Amino acid sequence: MNRAVALLGKELIDLRQNLTIFLPALLVTIVAVLMPMVVAVIVPAATGERLSDSGDLEIAVEMYKKDPSMRSLEPEAAIQAYVFEYFLVMLVLGPITSAMSVAAASVIGEKQARTLEPLLVTPITTFELLAGKLLGSLIPALALSVISIVLYLGVIAAAAHDGVFWVLLGPRTLGVIFLIGPLAAMVALLLAICVSSRVNDPRTAQQLSIFVILPIPALLLGQIFGGIELTFPVILWIALVLTLASAALVWVAIRLFERETILTRWK
Amino acid sequence: MASAALIASHLSRRFGDRLAVEDVSFTLEPGEIFALLGPNGAGKTTTLRILAGLIAPTSGAVAIDGQPMGPRSAPQLRARIGFLTEAPGLWDRLTVRDNLLVYARLYGLPSPEAAVDEALERFEIRDRGADRAAQLSKGLKQRVALARSLLHDPKIAMLDEPTSGLDPASAREVRDLILGLRAQGRTVLLCTHNLDEVERVADRVAVLSRRLIAIGTPAALRQKLFAPRVRIALAQPAEPFAAVLRTAGLSDIRVDSTVMSLSITNTSLTTPDVVRRLVEAGAGVESVMPEEPPLEDVYLKLVRPDGEGA
Repeated sequence: MNRAVALLGKELIDLRQNLTIFLPALLVTIVAVLMPMVVAVIVPAATGERLSDSGDLEIAVEMYKKDPSMRSLEPEAAIQAYVFEYFLVMLVLGPITSAMSVAAASVIGEKQARTLEPLLVTPITTFELLAGKLLGSLIPALALSVISIVLYLGVIAAAAHDGVFWVLLGPRTLGVIFLIGPLAAMVALLLAICVSSRVNDPRTAQQLSIFVILPIPALLLGQIFGGIELTFPVILWIALVLTLASAALVWVAIRLFERETILTRWK
Repeated sequence: MASAALIASHLSRRFGDRLAVEDVSFTLEPGEIFALLGPNGAGKTTTLRILAGLIAPTSGAVAIDGQPMGPRSAPQLRARIGFLTEAPGLWDRLTVRDNLLVYARLYGLPSPEAAVDEALERFEIRDRGADRAAQLSKGLKQRVALARSLLHDPKIAMLDEPTSGLDPASAREVRDLILGLRAQGRTVLLCTHNLDEVERVADRVAVLSRRLIAIGTPAALRQKLFAPRVRIALAQPAEPFAAVLRTAGLSDIRVDSTVMSLSITNTSLTTPDVVRRLVEAGAGVESVMPEEPPLEDVYLKLVRPDGEGA
């Protein structure tokens, strides 16, 4: 595994010199943090209308009355908790965008710069090479997960009603950020690596990120309109599905990432 | 006699319907510089990649130090090979030192930092160690790529166009380096279009055009393809004396001002006989030299046997 670590070191140095690659992921993260803030805090403050006065959001108050940990919240705080919790899933978009960008650029970038052949001449195995590339894309995605949740909770602590922060700081939040986030990022970057093995343009790989990104807003809409409740067991089920998808994609990636294919078909 | 450094046995490689390499066999001895020549698309790079274990032959086998190359043994055997690819393939955003350091670690060298220091010194690029690869000239990139390919002190160096893009002085340094590798007992497999370079350094030459069409020392190939010729420089115009020799039975005589070039292969005359006849005819003979056709002529005769362009 030392060779995978050596390659990971190279990937991280390379990324440090190319921080603009994270710009789309950072923008997505900022939007994901600000969106619920706008809905739950800024708009009510600007208009002077309380969320709890709106009939549309009564459901939130009813839902939270059923939850023992929420009973102590004011109606307005309960609705804020509802909004922040539902929008939480959008934070996963940052790590996914980051993983896709880095993985696509990392693999296709090597292809375009013709740096892969010298690398393949070394004793590095395909598994080590893929492990180095995967970790090189996953570590920044995980870092972004941590940054985004710290920002999210920081914003909640600073701007939301008392008690909302503590409601959010629970297993559901941790499950979304530290299970669904990294696993979805893993699926995204494996997909990017698979696609990168067959195309010459990083944009093609990035465009395919839509298949990983689309389910996230769909999940948000499902929660709001479709009655999907992202409970901790549901989070575990999603994590299991993503784990299985990752395993399948690792299998596909290793098969697609053949030295012969890389050397003879990549132009 | 030491065992062969590399044995290629009946290598063939097919890509779909296209046969890129067909039944190629040769052996590389330790301390030998072996040049692989051939026109574009002749299968040189494919052969090199097969030898380095990067792609598998459709049929045939490769052995390095007596060990057969296969999917399992390839990673270990590749550690004995230094491979300079046609493009330098440096990571542009990394410094020269970091580029080398990553490879030192990939090769599992015990002291990567020390190995990199030594390489920077040896290739005279220490002062550029902190520069990003993107800032280097083409020639310097090639030098760094060479340093990278020899970083782990390989027993066999496979160099694809090693002096490509280098200025004459840098190209000469690379040639000296190649000769230095031979002096250390290392085997060098050189893949190039630069016939002058081959002429200067190669012990043996193989000409590939999908199949191996010739293999041997440059002298042996010359002898095989061209009749020995003698070049005689006179003190006066050579044409009248060429007529004298023609009457003596020599037919293949080329004259250029005061110099004549002739073949005595199919006659009963020897070189001293020819010189004596010229002197008797009143010619002032200034020099008599065996004439060696340039390797380029040998190469062109091999790859274009119909004489086209030669």
